[in-house]
Amino acid sequence: MNILSIAIKEMKHDFRDRRTLLFMLGFPIVLMLILGLALTNAFSSEISVGDVKVAVKDATGGGPLSEAFAGFAKEVGKTGVTFEPLKPGASGREEVENNHVSGYVELTNQGISLYGSSRDAIESNIVQGMLASFTDKYNAAAAVARIEPAKTEMVLATGGSDYIRELSVDANRTPGSVDYYALAMTVMVGMWAAMGAGALIQGEVLRGTAVRLVIAPIRKSEIFVGKMLGGIISNLLCVMVIILFSKYVFKAYWGHHMGVVIAVLVSEVIMAMSLGLAGSYLLKGTASRGVISLVVQLMSFFGGAYFPILDDEGGGLMGFLVNLSPIRWANHGLTQVIYADNVSAAWPVLMLNIGFAALFLGVSILAMRRREGL
Amino acid sequence: MNILDIRGLTKKFGDFVAVDNMSLTIREGEIFGFLGANGAGKSTTINMISSLLRPTGGEIRILEKDIAKQSRFAKMNLGIVPQDLAIYEDMTAYENVSFFAGLYGLRGDKLKERAEEALEFVGLSDKAKSFPKNFSGGMKRRLNIACAIAHKPKLIIMDEPTVGIDPQSRNYILTSVRKLNESGCTIIYTSHYMEEVEEICSRIAIVDHGKIIAEGTKEQLKSTITDVKDIRIELKSVQGTEGELLKPVPGVRTVLQEENVIRVHSDAAVDNLNRILKQLMDAGKEIRSVEEQEPNLETVFLTLTGRNLRD
Repeated sequence: MNILSIAIKEMKHDFRDRRTLLFMLGFPIVLMLILGLALTNAFSSEISVGDVKVAVKDATGGGPLSEAFAGFAKEVGKTGVTFEPLKPGASGREEVENNHVSGYVELTNQGISLYGSSRDAIESNIVQGMLASFTDKYNAAAAVARIEPAKTEMVLATGGSDYIRELSVDANRTPGSVDYYALAMTVMVGMWAAMGAGALIQGEVLRGTAVRLVIAPIRKSEIFVGKMLGGIISNLLCVMVIILFSKYVFKAYWGHHMGVVIAVLVSEVIMAMSLGLAGSYLLKGTASRGVISLVVQLMSFFGGAYFPILDDEGGGLMGFLVNLSPIRWANHGLTQVIYADNVSAAWPVLMLNIGFAALFLGVSILAMRRREGL
Repeated sequence: MNILDIRGLTKKFGDFVAVDNMSLTIREGEIFGFLGANGAGKSTTINMISSLLRPTGGEIRILEKDIAKQSRFAKMNLGIVPQDLAIYEDMTAYENVSFFAGLYGLRGDKLKERAEEALEFVGLSDKAKSFPKNFSGGMKRRLNIACAIAHKPKLIIMDEPTVGIDPQSRNYILTSVRKLNESGCTIIYTSHYMEEVEEICSRIAIVDHGKIIAEGTKEQLKSTITDVKDIRIELKSVQGTEGELLKPVPGVRTVLQEENVIRVHSDAAVDNLNRILKQLMDAGKEIRSVEEQEPNLETVFLTLTGRNLRD
C-alpha cells in the first residue's frame, strides 16, 4: 500500500510539472513533424522513369528470332519501352554514348546483344530484365519447335506481356520519414526516463522531504520501489501518448505486433530509469542530472534519433559509439519487428535492456544500503 | 515514564566526534529545550533519534524500547518538524498531510479525519485545497508542522520551527506547541531564539562540542551562574568597536551588540561599572541608559560555551 501511495505521489509530481510534460510530449511531436516533413525525400524509395527508347539493329535477315522480337517489341511498347530500328549508317553504340537512346539491341543469328547506358542505369536494367524474359521464352519456344513445331506459337503466347517480374532483394515494407521519426522519437522519449530518474531520490533530498520519508515507519525498499513504479508508469504513459499521436495524427506505421513493441519500450523505460537512478547514486549531488542529461543526449544522437544512421556506418569509433546506444538497439530491433514482421528481433533488445536494468538497479540498491538516509 | 532515554550516544564522522558519549533523559509531558550553537552536535543528535543517522555507539530508547531493535515502534511514536521545510509544493496542503500520514498506516476515513484535524490545528483548514507554492513563509511552516502531527505521535521533535517567519506566525506556532503539549505530546524544541526557549520550555539542555554541558529548568540553569553580572548599556549609536574598547577593563568577559544596545558580561566580584562607563564616554559614546540585569539564558549559554547561540 505504501508502494502504491508513493507511486501515485510520483505520478502527481510528473503530471503537474507542466513544463517538463510539455517538453516530454511537445518536443518529440514537433520534432517528428519537422524532421518527418523535411526529410521526406531522403526516405522515399520511389523513382519515376519516363519513356525508354531503345535502338534495334536486326541483322538476322528475317526469320523466327526477328519475328518473335517484333512481337515482343509490340507487347512491351504498351509499357512505355519502345524499340526503334537504328537509322541507316548510324552507330548504335554511339547513339547510347550520346544519350540519344537508353540502350542498343543487336539481333544476329548468334543471338541478342544489349548495350546499356551507365547514365540511364535504371532504364538499362529495365530493358535488360525484359530482354532476359524474352530470351528465356524464345529459347523455350525454339526447344519446343525442335520437338513439336505446332506448339511453338503457344509457348510464345504464354504469359502475354508479363516480361517484368519483381525480383526485389528486400521485399519488406520500408519506413517513410514520418514512420522513422515516430519510432525514433518514441524510443528517445523512453530513454528520457533516465533524466527523471536522476532526480528521483535527489529531488526528495533537495526538497527536504527525504527526511520525512526516511523517518516514516516504512522500509527504504518500499520508497525505492514506489518511486521507480511511479516513474515507470509516468514515462510509459508519455510513450503511449507519442505512439497514439503518431499513429492516428501522423498516420505512422507501427506494424502488427504492438504488444511486442510495447514490451520492448517497457524494458527500455525500466533500463533508462535504472540508469538514471544508478547515475544519481554514483555521481551524487546536483551535477548528476547534468551528466545524465548529456549521456541521454549522446545516446539519442548516436542512436539515430535525430537522423538515421545506416548499418554501413557502423565501422570505427562512430560504429562503436553507435552500437553503445540503447536507442540504437531499440530502433534496430523494433524496425525489424514492425517492418519485417520479425518478432524474434525483439528478444536481444529485451534481454539487453533487462540485463542492464538489473545491473544498474543492483548498483543503486548497494549504494542506497550503504548510505545513511536516502 | 521516560519517553526518551539516551545512553552513551556517540557519532563519529571519520576522526571528528560530532556527538561524544551523550546521555539524556526526557520524561513524558515535557517541552524540552535543546540548545547549542551551530556545529555543537545538536542536529546530529536529533538525526540519530529520528533514525536518519546510525550512531557509532550508545543506545537510544523511545518509550523504553531500543530504536535499533524496534525501529517501527519508535517511528510510529515520533514526529519530526525539520528545520528546512519538508513539503511538496506541487501537492495541495491536504495531499501533503494525508500522504505523510498515510505512511504511518492511516487509511480511509481515519486518514481523512486526521489530515483535516492536523490542518485545523495549524489554522490551514481553509487552505486545504491550495498549493503551498502560493503560501507565505509562516503558512508553509505551519503546514510543515501539520505533516508531522497528523499521525498523533507521542514525541515531537521541532528543529527551529520559527526560522524566518513573521511575528504573527511565530506566535501562532508557539501557541500550537503549547496546545500540543497540553494534549499529551512531549516536545523537543530547538531554536536560535533564546526568548522562545525561555518562554515555552520546561527543561533545557545546553550542548557544546557534542556533549551536554548543562541541563535543568531555566531557573536551575540561571542559578548556576552566580559569578557573572549582565550590564545592559543603551548608546545613541553603536559602531561595533565597543568590544575592543572594553576589553582592557578588569572583569569584562564578553561584549554583545544588539542594535544600539551593548551587553557586557563581567565578573560579578569585580566592581567595574564606573570604569566601563568612563571608557565609553572617553571614546565619545553617548550613553542613554544603563541597567544591571539578572543573568538570563543567553548569559548562561555564553558563560558556559563562550559562544553566542547564533554563532
